[in-house]
Amino acid sequence: MSTAIVPLVLFVLAATGLAVGLLTAAWLLGPKRQGLTKQMPYESGMDPIHDTRRRFDVRFHLVAIVFLLFDVELLFLYPWAVASRDARGFSLLASQSDRFSRPLVFAEVMVFVGLLTLGLVYVWRKGVFRWR
Amino acid sequence: MGSSSELLLAADSSLSPLLLQAIVKIVVLIGGLMTAAAYFVLLERRMAAWIQDRRGPNRVGIPLTGIRLFGLGQPLADGVKFIFKEAYTPAHVDRWMYLFAPIAILVAALVVFAVIPVGGMVPAVPGLADGGQPISLVVIPGFDSGLLLVFALSEIAVYGVLLGGWASNNKYSFLGGLRSSAQLIAYELPLGLAILGVVLASGSMNLEQVIARQAQSGLWFVLAQPLGFVVFVIAAFAESARVPFDLPECEQELVGGYHTEYSGIKLLLFLVAEFLHMITASFLIVILFLGGWHFWGITGGPDAEIGWLQSLLRVAVLLGKVFLVILFFMLTRWSWPRFRFDQLMALAWKIMLPLGIANFIVVAALGEVRAWYDPKFADRFWEWGLALPNWVTLVLGWLAVAYSGTLVTDNRPQRTSRGSDSHAEGFS
Repeated sequence: MSTAIVPLVLFVLAATGLAVGLLTAAWLLGPKRQGLTKQMPYESGMDPIHDTRRRFDVRFHLVAIVFLLFDVELLFLYPWAVASRDARGFSLLASQSDRFSRPLVFAEVMVFVGLLTLGLVYVWRKGVFRWR
Repeated sequence: MGSSSELLLAADSSLSPLLLQAIVKIVVLIGGLMTAAAYFVLLERRMAAWIQDRRGPNRVGIPLTGIRLFGLGQPLADGVKFIFKEAYTPAHVDRWMYLFAPIAILVAALVVFAVIPVGGMVPAVPGLADGGQPISLVVIPGFDSGLLLVFALSEIAVYGVLLGGWASNNKYSFLGGLRSSAQLIAYELPLGLAILGVVLASGSMNLEQVIARQAQSGLWFVLAQPLGFVVFVIAAFAESARVPFDLPECEQELVGGYHTEYSGIKLLLFLVAEFLHMITASFLIVILFLGGWHFWGITGGPDAEIGWLQSLLRVAVLLGKVFLVILFFMLTRWSWPRFRFDQLMALAWKIMLPLGIANFIVVAALGEVRAWYDPKFADRFWEWGLALPNWVTLVLGWLAVAYSGTLVTDNRPQRTSRGSDSHAEGFS
């Protein structure tokens, strides 16, 4: 995998260079004018009433936490998905590869997914997905 | 593929062919992508004009000659205009985060293409190839966790959106950033589940391998896993924030969404990144589900001899498919209304996620059945035969969504015999 890192780093550097270069070019070439009204937050012509840094709806937080749980658990399934197609890869997963080890691993994965679904049902019933 | 020392420098301390090859690919890819994004903007505007029965941008051609060229000069003129606009940073923003957000989102949107193949292989070119080996048309050939990288980078886009909205210190930006990050993370899950089905069927997260598997069997994954395809396409629309999921910047409600406070070149970076997300989504739809460079009868299997004609044909087939998918994105944009935010979240969590889980369970179970009877994964009968239960799943899933109807999608207070508002109990 060491051959992969050099092109990847090159690509990131090139993309960053492009973005920073464009910003710099515009900063050098564009006009620079200031004004009191120009510095105000644009809120449809209203004078801003208060700061933006205030409390916001807790549901965004709940959704973010639910996402984290599901996303991380989802990632656990990828190695199994890759290995399960390949007989050689599968022998790495199961300690002894007799005929029944494979269904056993599958059953374990299904228990895992079942718990995931149970979690989904729980947060659903708790009303996390209710947006009004 | 050479070793890493071979990649860095050749023995005579000149650039090694592999490094040179990577640089050429990166330059061509970034140049091509930026140009493609610019011209797709023109195409989209022309298409909008066509659907709304007007002419669209058709004036800008070659300057000083009066030649119009169907408006093909418009993207160049726009780019130059953006560079000469003022690079303004408002006084009330969090300066560094405000600058960092567009850079992060553009870099993430570009770097995804490091693992996305734009064709199969091409024959060796003198000076670029490692000992006469064919050149793979992907920046990192044989990268085994390609889909993981795609997944990770698409979540960095969430950071760009959230940082942009937060750093702007503007209420519209902030609300837009919150809403779109909630949307992006919500649809990340069905996207991952649909990808999981493909990974199960192809046994690899390397996108080249995914295409090779489809070319080998001739069974595109859209035929093998139709429900996964539907889930993936809808989630991909949401991830690239296209209509009907363009809530991040719904002009009528939030001024400009998370990039309200951005102008000039910084706004351009956001817009280009958004277009790149659409192009990425089209590439992924084509590669994961529509067979990549494969087309029955004309492109040959993955083990065929590599010749110039066939390589170029494969590139043309892949890019042609991508173009058609992008046209579909654009047609959808001009013919669909936008979702309301609560509908959007309900669709993600109450419909797409259960459908994704159902698709995953069915695909995994069928794979187990196949492994039991066909442990080498070689029998054509099993390859094609297992598509049938997947189509049954699609129909059943469709019916389930149709019948669950208001239970999961409608969040208005419902009259029941027990009282006026049934929200307190049950699934709502």
